[in-house]
Amino acid sequence: MTWWWKSLFRKRSLDAQLTSEVRFHIDELTDANTAAGMSPEEARRRAVLEFGGSEQIKEELRDVHRVRVIESAIANLKSAFRFTRKSPSFSAAVILTLALGIGANSAVFSAIDAILLRPLPFPDGDQLMKLSQRNFKVKGTATVVAPVRLEDWNRMNSTFQALTGYYTENNSETSGILPEKLTQAFVAARFLQVWGVSPALGRDFIPEEGHFGGPGAILISDRFWRSRFGARPDVLGKKLVVNGHSSPIVGVMPSSFLFPERDVDLWSPVPSDAPYAQSRRSTWYTVIGRLKPGVTLTLAQANLAAIQAQLGRAYPETDNELAVEVQPLKETRVGRTRNSLWMLFGSVSLLLLIACTNIVTLLLARATQRQHEIAVRFSLGGSRFAIVMQLLTEVFLLALLGATLGLFVAACASNVFRSLAADLPRVEEIRLDWRIVLYALACSVVATLLCGLVPAIRGTRRTLSASLAQASRTQVTGRNRLQWLLVGTQVALAVTLLAGAGLLLRSFRALGHVSPGFDASHVLTFRISGSYGETSDWKRLTQRIEQSVDVLGKLPGVDSAATTGDLPGVPQHYPTELNFVEGEQDSEQKVVAESRFISPSYLATMQIPLLAGELCRDPLLQLMSTPEDPAGIHHIDISRVEVLVNRSFAETYSPVSTAMGRHLRVLGNAFLRPNQAGEIRGIVGDAREEGVNREPGPTVYWCMSASGPDPFYLVRTHAAQPLAVAGTLRKKIHEIEPGRSVFDITPLEERIDNAFAENRLRTVLLAFFAATAVTLACVGLYGTLSYSVNVRQREVGLRLALGALRGQIVKQFLLQGLGVSTIGCLVGWGLAAAGGRLLSGMLYGVSPSDLTTLSSVVLMVLFVAALASLIPAVRAARLDPMQVLREE
Amino acid sequence: MAVDRSDLLQGTLDMLILKIVALGPVHGYGISQRIQQVSREVLQVQQGSLYPALHRLEKRGWLQATWGESESGRQAKFYRLSAKGRKQLQLEESQWNRLAEAIALILRTAS
Repeated sequence: MTWWWKSLFRKRSLDAQLTSEVRFHIDELTDANTAAGMSPEEARRRAVLEFGGSEQIKEELRDVHRVRVIESAIANLKSAFRFTRKSPSFSAAVILTLALGIGANSAVFSAIDAILLRPLPFPDGDQLMKLSQRNFKVKGTATVVAPVRLEDWNRMNSTFQALTGYYTENNSETSGILPEKLTQAFVAARFLQVWGVSPALGRDFIPEEGHFGGPGAILISDRFWRSRFGARPDVLGKKLVVNGHSSPIVGVMPSSFLFPERDVDLWSPVPSDAPYAQSRRSTWYTVIGRLKPGVTLTLAQANLAAIQAQLGRAYPETDNELAVEVQPLKETRVGRTRNSLWMLFGSVSLLLLIACTNIVTLLLARATQRQHEIAVRFSLGGSRFAIVMQLLTEVFLLALLGATLGLFVAACASNVFRSLAADLPRVEEIRLDWRIVLYALACSVVATLLCGLVPAIRGTRRTLSASLAQASRTQVTGRNRLQWLLVGTQVALAVTLLAGAGLLLRSFRALGHVSPGFDASHVLTFRISGSYGETSDWKRLTQRIEQSVDVLGKLPGVDSAATTGDLPGVPQHYPTELNFVEGEQDSEQKVVAESRFISPSYLATMQIPLLAGELCRDPLLQLMSTPEDPAGIHHIDISRVEVLVNRSFAETYSPVSTAMGRHLRVLGNAFLRPNQAGEIRGIVGDAREEGVNREPGPTVYWCMSASGPDPFYLVRTHAAQPLAVAGTLRKKIHEIEPGRSVFDITPLEERIDNAFAENRLRTVLLAFFAATAVTLACVGLYGTLSYSVNVRQREVGLRLALGALRGQIVKQFLLQGLGVSTIGCLVGWGLAAAGGRLLSGMLYGVSPSDLTTLSSVVLMVLFVAALASLIPAVRAARLDPMQVLREE
Repeated sequence: MAVDRSDLLQGTLDMLILKIVALGPVHGYGISQRIQQVSREVLQVQQGSLYPALHRLEKRGWLQATWGESESGRQAKFYRLSAKGRKQLQLEESQWNRLAEAIALILRTAS
């Protein structure tokens, strides 16, 4: 920019230079005239006359040097506005196309920005890590962490500012008339310190509240504060009765603090010195840590690994086989959506590319009409750069208007995302802000260059021969070839998108038609509040749950009732390593199976058939509580638990004939006590427990109704609408358990649907993008062919006059359109086959290179392309030859 | 001697300026004289188009200008061809020659 400044400040010296240059010329002319014999006065007069208006020339010279960035930009903008108004239909077409392209692009970007790019909404959110423990000797998943181990890690590490932990319970608050279900987070010390958040009202927990026997304390969420207390400021000190414990409210959290769950209501401290929190085996906490500034993930992982090795030596029995996993917290929350979102972004960028290509063809067609205008500007002395800038300004104005309109599209995006996939993580953070506006602006600049540069440069290509041979028609065919190339590109990209959408739609359908091995219809699911404190007496807990199941099963309109730890068909992978107590152990083959904790009535309720043996007996008969072992609070003595295995388990690990009566032992699972075994009672049919999109794998059903304090309850109803019994069962539960609340009442089918909401989101959106892309491509094809018919009117008229059949004319233009489309389709096929691999993780029951999908997509596009070509082709054949020739 | 004076064809003035400046450093007055002399008084350049053209070419980097003393002892602005300008001149010359040949060919064969 320095030359620009200089040109402003050097005005004086420039003027002086201009003046002396002009004066020199006039002096020389005067000398020449004097030499020719004129008197000095006459010589001077003639010289000035011959030179012409010197002031005018100086002004022109100043013009050459003046850098008029702003003035010329405004002038360009003015003429762009004139141009836009002068051709409203053209402008509207461009604006709408770009509004769609930029709008869809910004919408998907707003989701990517909110979900993937931004740090979590806490101060320095990227320092937050999730830690878990994992037994590296046996195959299984990482688990939550024992409270004492959390305290050890927190004390010994050198890479974290602090570590904390939490677990949630669905409890009932009973200070009102009816029990109200509340989601309560129990948190370890340093909880708010790790998040870096302070209460909006009141205070954080104080150390005494974190000691056993100390005063109780509760922090409440902003939502709960508003719904329950009408946002009254005098809420501090009020008491809430949760699970029979009365504690005062000490603070209200800000509305943005929604951790660990969106609908969390309360936070209360857990005393780390409580006697029941001292076992190294009982694992409770999801652990969150805040890294020290500048510490990398690898460093933290190494640090924790060293500490755990130390603990392994100190406590060989419980800690020797444990490893620590450290992951960025954001990754654990949003990682699974990454592929879907980037796939959507890729497809929406293709869409924008198609939109731009479309506009290029429109602009090229216009450039021929504007040739005359451009030639005039050249002859008026405009430089090519200035004319290109003006043409680009016109496109930029249209792109800006399109982007503005597109931002309205993007503003609706969060609603679309929320309604299609409410479970998407961080979906509440999607909104329109200045980042999205900037992004849309950047999009319109890119679109301007993509759309405007080629037509502007081609339109201003100027050679002497061109200006001399303006009326030549040879140019049109050359430009036309580029237009057809662009049309072919659009078709190819549209086919690619449509193929992707087709594959997703087919796998969506396939998922809907899968037979999962259980019957989800007529089944209602819900939960009943319960607290982990109850797990100190498994016998009582089991009795309580069994009684509820019993009562529910006898309700009118209900066939049977059951409980399960995890819902069938909802993706949840929980592999456990086991071995057989009896018989030879095959040391090579590990026995790994999915573990499910169910009540015996589960199989009848879900209609999973018994293939051999018998069902489990009453769990109360199996149960033997172990109250004398303080370390075993979360563990169940499963020596008398009964077990069912599925067909796949029997086929993989133990033939049906020998399976019955054998005992299975769990290795290193934190929930079941190691080295105790359950007896195999029967073999049941395979069911897609781990998600309807997964083939059933070896599964072990542990017949324990009380997998935790609040398992899922399932009831099979007579009515087609399972929700019809909701009122009855709520009333019944209130009768027998007045202190508990029933919540989360949802039909099982809806739960399974919601679990695949992301699938639905990407399928619906991609189908929409693909439909738009095909429409744009067809509009491009139609426009280009119409233009081509217009340009060749004379030729067509001549041929008709010479006796060509109308059918031949139709055929010629139709074949031209179809030929380009066919080539586009073939290229699109190739692109789709190459890009299909990107979708492979998202498909079910259909391969990425599925022939049926690809060929039907191509046929469909060809059919629509044929329709789009037919109209201009028929119009060409209807030309009146006499009229056309007369016009020429 | 009655001479028909022709206006310069649009776009050819730049080429003529480049050609003349290619011969050596020269000032604006010199260029206008040279064009008239060389074209045997057929081509007349208006100063109103010559100077803007010179300054435009200077700004594009095809010409370089320095102040110096003229033969008459006055301070004058001398123009010299830059490397970029030399390339441009070659390009324009070859384009012109092609065009002129084509036109000549048409005139010859059409008569």
